[in-house]
Amino acid sequence: MLAYIGRRALLAVFTVWAISMLAFAIIQLPPGDYVSSYIAQMAAMGSVVSDEEAQNLRIQYGLGQPIYVQYLKWMKLVVQGNFGTSMEWKRPVTEVIGDRLWLTVVVSVAALILTWVLALPIGIYSAVRQYSVGDYVATFIGFIGLAVPNFLLALVILYLGFVFFNAHIGGLFSPELQDAPWSAAKVWDLLKHLPIPALILGLAGTAQQIRIMRANLLDELRKPYVVTARSKGLSESRVILKYPVRVALNPFASTIGYTLPYIVSGSIIVSLVLGLPTVGPLLLKALIAQDMFLAGTIVLLLGVMTVIGTLISDVLLVWIDPRIRLEDT
Amino acid sequence: MTELRRTLRLRTLRSRLTAALVVGALSVVIAAGALAQSKSALIGKLEGPEVITDPAKFPKTFKEAPQLAEQVKAGKLPPVAERIGQDPLVIKPLQSIGKYGGTWRGGFTGPADFWNGFRCCSGPDHLMFWDYTGDKAMPNLAKGLEMQDGGRSWLLHLRRGMKWSDGKPFTADDFVFWFEDVYRNKDLVPTPSAAMAINGKQGAIEKVDTHTVRFKFPEPYYMLPDVLAGSTDLGGQWSAYRGLGGFAPAHYLKQFHPKYVSQGELDKKVKDEKFDSWVRMFLFKNDWALNPELPVLSAWKTVTPINTPTWTLERNPYSVFVDTAGNQLPYIDRVVLTLAENLEVLNLRAVAGEYDFQQRHIDLGKLPVFIENQARGGYKVYLDPGDYGGDMIIKFNLNYDADPEIAKWFNTADFRRALALGIDRDQINETFWLGTGTPSSVVPADNNKYNPGPQYRKMWATLDVRKANEMLDKIGLAKKDAQGYRLRADGKGRLRIEIMTLGGQFVQYTQISEMIREQWKKIGIDLQVQEVERSLALKRTAANEQQLGAWNNDGSEHLFTFPLHVFPFELAAVASSGPLYVKWFHSAGAQGKEPEPRMKELMEKWKKAFGVPEKERIQLGKDVWKIAAEEVYIIGVIGMGPASMGVRVVKTNMGNIPSRQYNSPDGKTPGISRPVTFYWK
Repeated sequence: MLAYIGRRALLAVFTVWAISMLAFAIIQLPPGDYVSSYIAQMAAMGSVVSDEEAQNLRIQYGLGQPIYVQYLKWMKLVVQGNFGTSMEWKRPVTEVIGDRLWLTVVVSVAALILTWVLALPIGIYSAVRQYSVGDYVATFIGFIGLAVPNFLLALVILYLGFVFFNAHIGGLFSPELQDAPWSAAKVWDLLKHLPIPALILGLAGTAQQIRIMRANLLDELRKPYVVTARSKGLSESRVILKYPVRVALNPFASTIGYTLPYIVSGSIIVSLVLGLPTVGPLLLKALIAQDMFLAGTIVLLLGVMTVIGTLISDVLLVWIDPRIRLEDT
Repeated sequence: MTELRRTLRLRTLRSRLTAALVVGALSVVIAAGALAQSKSALIGKLEGPEVITDPAKFPKTFKEAPQLAEQVKAGKLPPVAERIGQDPLVIKPLQSIGKYGGTWRGGFTGPADFWNGFRCCSGPDHLMFWDYTGDKAMPNLAKGLEMQDGGRSWLLHLRRGMKWSDGKPFTADDFVFWFEDVYRNKDLVPTPSAAMAINGKQGAIEKVDTHTVRFKFPEPYYMLPDVLAGSTDLGGQWSAYRGLGGFAPAHYLKQFHPKYVSQGELDKKVKDEKFDSWVRMFLFKNDWALNPELPVLSAWKTVTPINTPTWTLERNPYSVFVDTAGNQLPYIDRVVLTLAENLEVLNLRAVAGEYDFQQRHIDLGKLPVFIENQARGGYKVYLDPGDYGGDMIIKFNLNYDADPEIAKWFNTADFRRALALGIDRDQINETFWLGTGTPSSVVPADNNKYNPGPQYRKMWATLDVRKANEMLDKIGLAKKDAQGYRLRADGKGRLRIEIMTLGGQFVQYTQISEMIREQWKKIGIDLQVQEVERSLALKRTAANEQQLGAWNNDGSEHLFTFPLHVFPFELAAVASSGPLYVKWFHSAGAQGKEPEPRMKELMEKWKKAFGVPEKERIQLGKDVWKIAAEEVYIIGVIGMGPASMGVRVVKTNMGNIPSRQYNSPDGKTPGISRPVTFYWK
């Protein structure tokens, strides 16, 4: 087992390195660079950047150099734990991301917990009581949840919140507490703002998880071992929870690889619409502005999270499902 | 679970705008009736505060905000009279003397939105600045500007006793430091600014005495007062982040300059503060929006910088602005701009009354929603139509050469004119401007001093399908295909032309272009609308690959300080009239391509105006617009509209708010209305 983990960890390092190169290359793919997107941004605001100024900026930011030189320069910084300075924010990348990382984790974890708390019981219920009224209702709501684009839901909820409840528009804090140092009042304020984003972010996931749980469990329920357990006289709840549910949980464990990066980035569009100060909108803006170091660092972070997540889910699978055995090849 | 959602997310990115549009369109239908009645109520009379220049009318004693008075009492600040100095900048508020206190809440969109703060809160900090009509350059931070030697030399008189925000005197040395050590330092400013030059020849700045500075030029530079007043490279600290501005706080910046500190010490500073080079550190330290330590002359100063979620500005205790009763301005203590990365959120916050005064980023398409919620949000909506002729214009790329046939037609005046006649501007105005704009050629508003005359407003700017068809038939495009589209003269099928648009702007260029596409069917022209991402747009214009480009000509009412939408002037443009002409113009004919005679005439007249007295300049300005309107190098669609930052949402209990203001980048609107005089009733 240890050797297995060691081998996977080593591979992970190479994967991360490959990701860093790919990330850098992909960010460079669209036409132009930070300076040209800066010019366009200025133009959109009725201001002009002269050709000379653009050239100066390119020299100052080192954008004229070949891409591999820029990459090596960045890697040199990364190895030292310094991820460079964001061109747009004019602050160290670590600070820009750091500000938002914890809030992102809070929102994403809230959404995840909501998803699982809702999805697992409903999924189990739907499978056990297949084709009951409850199953149909859950299926119906589930499909609606899947089909409605959640950014639209976000817009509608924002507007309704304003019209009927006079709610503050977007964000995670009331304006007066935005800059206040952390305190009980601020945490309470955060908790009050949390349900709406968590609900919107969690909804589509919930619908999907219900369907997965239901389908997996249905497969398992028909298997002979369930019949055996029943015939041995185990209580119904014990029969279901102890064996088939545990097997049906496999897909949940195997998706952790995708869940971890989601936790640090959050949903980009929904966060943007809801005005959440999370990493997602930051990534989107950095990509649009071609802010190399910021976008590169976030993509790298997401890559690392995916790799770690995959590693965790591999280990978890072995642990949850005794049928999965390590091959000695 | 995330796989599916990720695909969804990508797909929804594009449709988000469409959805917002649908919502917008619905609300338009609902409130259109109400809007028609209130349109006249929304556009008021142009008004604004006045700068008092007669010393006899100056206040004799000064008053200050209570919290500053406390600091004076505690010995932390010198008395107010000492802080203001002997020559205050006196402003007569629009309606009444205000009260101190309160916060002004607004929204901004991120670190690139620095204009937001300069427009609201810098004072403005220009040496000269416009009167409220935007017509006349008046003394501002400078006490006066005196012309000598037939415009070759200008004496700038500073205010005695005026101070930087840290209490250090503001003197001629700050100009000399800027000119010698910042502007002429090749690392900080690699290419000299056109604002400091006349006919391509650079000028110089000298100290005469502590409170007098001389600008010297090799040839007469009559335009200097306007250049100091406009949003140019000599227009105050807004451009300090790139080493420009005309002056700089010498006493503070010297510690970051290699001329004044040893290389070792400087290197250590650069390393300690994690900058890439001393140049980046110096420019960062000189950034009004980023560095709260920077001494400034503006009315409010940055306290928490623009690269944080809240950009906060507080009153400058050494502000030189006072009202006619001797109250040091501003009245409002703090300006708090909160980050809204999404314009929908920003607009919805404005609808909800979460902003006290907001004009930037407000979407004209949501006007009905704003009006509907006025009472609830406790605000009033004002419209400030621009003075420029085009909220939307269409530029012909006169240098397009990838397709000789299209290049030929673009350079045929009657082709351009016929296309201009094929646009139904009333339909566009009703649909996209809700009737608030004016169908127009490119010429500026009638009251603009460079307006060539009323007959130019509608010149080639009315709908005349019959005449357009006749003109197109006559120039050699008479043959049509089965669908009624005109055929190319070279026999290669249908004449197809492309227009390049950008999405997500103040004006819905793509949607309007789609409407023009429908309208041009009637004159047999097949228009293809291509919405592109902005970096791609720049790349295409620079590579001369653009055919038609949609944009606006905001700022062009000051055609001499803001010429880029009047004729081909800038290479880095999202819509270009001809990149080769730009090169030709700036290299005095050495590079690029020589323009056709009338374009050349236009360029020469524009250039000449900088070195002649104002009366002659006004005539030259009119001539420039005459040529522009007659030749239709650029099609004007809708002008004098409020689409670009012209929808203003203001709390009803805010005082000294004008019913209409001059709306322009040069006027730093709302800076033109002197927000230092705004107050809470």
